[in-house]
Amino acid sequence: MAMSQQELVDTLSGLALFADLSRPQVEAVAHKMTEESYPTGQRILRQGFTGTGFYVILDGEVAVKIDGNEISRLGKGDFFGEMSILLGEPPVADIVTMRQLRVLHLGGPEFEGFLREYPAVMLRVLKAVALRLRNANRWRS
Amino acid sequence: MSYLAAVALTDDQKAARLNGVPLFAGISPESMGRLVAVAGEQAFAPGTFIVRQGQVGTGLYVIVDGSVSVIRGADDVIATLGTGDFFGELSVIDQQPRNASVQAAEPTTVLALASWDLLNLLEHDPALSLNMIRGLVARVRAAGEQHRH
Repeated sequence: MAMSQQELVDTLSGLALFADLSRPQVEAVAHKMTEESYPTGQRILRQGFTGTGFYVILDGEVAVKIDGNEISRLGKGDFFGEMSILLGEPPVADIVTMRQLRVLHLGGPEFEGFLREYPAVMLRVLKAVALRLRNANRWRS
Repeated sequence: MSYLAAVALTDDQKAARLNGVPLFAGISPESMGRLVAVAGEQAFAPGTFIVRQGQVGTGLYVIVDGSVSVIRGADDVIATLGTGDFFGELSVIDQQPRNASVQAAEPTTVLALASWDLLNLLEHDPALSLNMIRGLVARVRAAGEQHRH
């Protein structure tokens, strides 16, 4: 069941990604993004094929798989989908729900404008991507 | 000191070189002005280490001439970077030690940007942040592809 707008704004305010935003800004974000639910075992993004958009996890867990190998898991407050949007390419990994998932979804074409509108969110994304690169280098070596 | 000598580039020369670097594409004239004012050029002889794995990072480097080897561990060359490429950004963003060493492969000139100045620019110029995110994302993908093979 979808959350009330009030509950949604409360949840978003508690996520690191939106921690620097004012209440009215979080309300605007909640309005701009679409809440979606997915059952366990669903592939939301398919490596090399389809799926576009920026997703922020509100509740649940997904596995990130490259060529069928799980490389990491993402949970509440984590996000995915930004790579293929920014690279302008199909998803670089499968994103598979490990249990019931609730996300906020933003269409790919809106993502850059969204980041430009909220520089504080952009910096959070930047830091998260830097962390991913560190981790990616770690499992490479 | 690890560098040969400061190379005296004029502000116009610096701007011309920075203009051609993808990381700085589309940034505001104000940001470019600030960048030119705070970036310092350094020249390195072949074989000189510009950053060392494990050190605390103090800045970002943009290669304006030459090329460098990115080395992990004792001698595992994981990448070669050339003119227009940048390195050292990870430690600036997350304040963790350098995850690789970088060694000049030939006579190499870089423009160095201190952590504080870079973070300040990132906070004020969304275009720069976006470029930086794009650069990092491309590296994450490249790391994933190497992992696969």
